[in-house]
Amino acid sequence: MPKPLQDEAKQSPYEKMLQESVRGELRIVNAGLPKTQERLANLLNEKYPHVVCHDGSTHSFKKSELEYLASIIDTDEQKALALPMLIELGPNQGEAAIICEGKLEEKTISKVLNMPVTCEQRRIRIYRPQLALLRRKLKTTTVYVFSPKTVT
Amino acid sequence: MPELIRVRPTKIELVKLKRRLILAQRVQKIVKDRLSILTMEFLQTARDTVEAKRKLLDEASKLYKALSVAAGYHGYIAMGKELAATEADLKVTAGSRNIAGVRIPSFELVGNGKPMRGYSLADTSSWLDRAAQLSEECLKAIVELAELQRSFELLAMEINRTKRITNALEYVVIPRLQATISYLNMKFEERDREEKVRLKRVKVLVARG
Repeated sequence: MPKPLQDEAKQSPYEKMLQESVRGELRIVNAGLPKTQERLANLLNEKYPHVVCHDGSTHSFKKSELEYLASIIDTDEQKALALPMLIELGPNQGEAAIICEGKLEEKTISKVLNMPVTCEQRRIRIYRPQLALLRRKLKTTTVYVFSPKTVT
Repeated sequence: MPELIRVRPTKIELVKLKRRLILAQRVQKIVKDRLSILTMEFLQTARDTVEAKRKLLDEASKLYKALSVAAGYHGYIAMGKELAATEADLKVTAGSRNIAGVRIPSFELVGNGKPMRGYSLADTSSWLDRAAQLSEECLKAIVELAELQRSFELLAMEINRTKRITNALEYVVIPRLQATISYLNMKFEERDREEKVRLKRVKVLVARG
């Protein structure tokens, strides 16, 4: 036999808190995404390199990371590389995709991971071990995106 | 058996509940993805923290030895006199970054590539240079460790919070919604059966009459 019914209007504080936290979870998950991406060449010239996020906070870049990126690509490419790079999480838990514009990101990621990668449909697909390696080297120049498309 | 949500047994309520169930399942998927990313970052930070701590201890041990040798060579008073002029403010750039919704502090020691030494190179030996170089390495390691340790704490707190939400969704919200949907479905089926029996009964009564 089912237990006594609970009135939806008279939810317990626990239930209310649960609903609120679930709503909050959806809000915060992508709040830290940058409003715009900045070019590497511009960031290198800034005293405190950062971008503004959707929630109004700032995302700071480490100079050492920017210098590392600058060392692996040409000066012309520095003007084209948009940062932070966006890592989209796939529906398959084992893989992730880096959203990219073209060959430049492909070259950069390939050099960082020290393995060939290919860009297909504006995405570079990588697996968890590579993702961990990439995040270890580029902590501040990459951010995660939780795309609704990936939610199945 | 999970508790049922009190709703009016109507088709509209059933549709609403089904929508809520789909939304809850989507949220659960997002939260689970987030949890897996946070866990991955946490483990990475833990590894980095251990490494940074080991590095700091190594550097500090080397620094202590180098400083002892330099003090032995120059004498404490002479070395103290030389080092009195080298005091400088330490500049650390503090910012923040976001990992899957968690704001993590980011510290970086500001240095323009020049060593922070102010003592006379003519009056001191290379032992003091070595000690100064090691102390700079030590400062870098301290700043790095501070960032990693705080990140470690923040990620751990967020993982705990996210785990509670995942468990609540998995063991409370979704089972309740599923139970209520199945209860309403059963109720509608029961109503249909009652209706059929009633119609049959009426048909029999009409046929008799």
